[in-house]
Amino acid sequence: MIVSFLESIKYVGHLIPMAFLRIFLGSYFLQSALMKFHGDFLLRPKLAAQFSETLPTLELPVWYRQVLEKLLITHWQTFAFVILGIELAIGISYIIGYVVRPMALLASLICIQFLILSVGLQSDLYKLFLVIHLTLAWVGAGRCLGVDYYFYKKRRGFWW
Amino acid sequence: MKHFLFFLALVFLALFYALYSKNSSNSGVGNTAQLKVYASSSFISKFGPGPLIKDSFQQICQCRIEYFDSADSTTLIQRLKTEPRSQSADVVLGFDQFDLELAQKGFEWKPIPFQKNKLVDSLQNILARSMLVPYDWGVISFVGRTSQVPKPPTQFQDLLNPEFRDQISIQDPRTSSLGFQLLSWLIQSMGEEKAFQYLEKLNTQVKAIGTSWSMSYGLFEKKQVLLTLSYSTSPMYHLIEEKNEDILAYEFKEGHPIQLEYIGIPATCRNCDLAEKFVLFILSLEGQKIIMEKNYMLPVLKGVKENSSFSKVASFKILENFVLPSSPEKERVLKRWAQLRRFQ
Repeated sequence: MIVSFLESIKYVGHLIPMAFLRIFLGSYFLQSALMKFHGDFLLRPKLAAQFSETLPTLELPVWYRQVLEKLLITHWQTFAFVILGIELAIGISYIIGYVVRPMALLASLICIQFLILSVGLQSDLYKLFLVIHLTLAWVGAGRCLGVDYYFYKKRRGFWW
Repeated sequence: MKHFLFFLALVFLALFYALYSKNSSNSGVGNTAQLKVYASSSFISKFGPGPLIKDSFQQICQCRIEYFDSADSTTLIQRLKTEPRSQSADVVLGFDQFDLELAQKGFEWKPIPFQKNKLVDSLQNILARSMLVPYDWGVISFVGRTSQVPKPPTQFQDLLNPEFRDQISIQDPRTSSLGFQLLSWLIQSMGEEKAFQYLEKLNTQVKAIGTSWSMSYGLFEKKQVLLTLSYSTSPMYHLIEEKNEDILAYEFKEGHPIQLEYIGIPATCRNCDLAEKFVLFILSLEGQKIIMEKNYMLPVLKGVKENSSFSKVASFKILENFVLPSSPEKERVLKRWAQLRRFQ
């Protein structure tokens, strides 16, 4: 695995800038997850409060609004745990370069959710994140300076 | 895909385990009381006095202190009023004197048994006004470098000198308490009309109006301006941290306003006795020394700065009878300031 990690620099060296972007974004998500873990993210319904505030201002399909109101807002603690877990997974995955492609697709899906529910400057940030996640998924950014190259070499396939 | 699902499951399991251990360790100290403190981010940050205060107090109280970032004072008051009693804060710190009216309006605070005569002379009349007690203070002044400002300003008129054109940074009074101090300082020393006429002229001298102290002070630190509005203790920071003796605070003939930071115990506190002990610790010699050295603000207690490097802080003439504007008055003055900015 170490050999293939070093090989990745040689054979997929053109992806090094992407790897830097991936690692930077990974550290951002990991830091954000750790802050949430040590803070009061799981103790206070912060996200639910944010959604409750923005929901009336948004034009959303009825079913989607109901899902948000009846599932996410009511069960905010489970939802906060899932968000925290996904952020942590994205952070670790991007930093070590493991399962980056499916993780980036999952991150894009989460990003789209937040993009729909955000207003103002926040939505610009989510748009930017979405583009980066999609790009990372597109190029398979875990193949350079990451564990994914080992599996890519060994197994090939769509997910590496 | 198998790898992905396995990885996700592993992360969630690890997170679940970490949360479980966190909760068990919390319940392990379940017998020790917990104190919930709302404080400003500068107080809580690793460079601020918060962590050291926490460590020192926890050693003597057999309790656990939890800090919560309190954002701005308006949001904080709203939060105090609406949150359920089971989640209520025990101690709140970080209000300035302009927030006092807001803090006391429709919200109850517990009295703090603190002896007024322990306060430094300049603050003797403060306690009578409020249930909250000041824990640090600073004298507001313009700050510059001796090497860059050979002829230091001694009054407001000097700031209009040609050498300071585009060379001053101040703060926006709408977003910064320090910025509002400047506006009030001008109004109190010149009267409102003259103050606004003066501000019109001063605006041509100002390079940037920062939204916060850190923004405008950053410009000064990067040598992009010659003067900035800060505190008389700012030179101490450069002297202690950087061994730089070049920075100086300038005394103005008009006298200087002071900025106070208050601490209070909400009437809805859960661990009120412990909260009182914590507040008294902050107001003790040890607590005050930590705050002075970490916050670079003056201690409210007599005998703290005397034998320290802070005894070198220049003592300026304090503006006497500084009247705090009421909320509608503050709003009116800020509107007038905003209009002045719009037409320039």
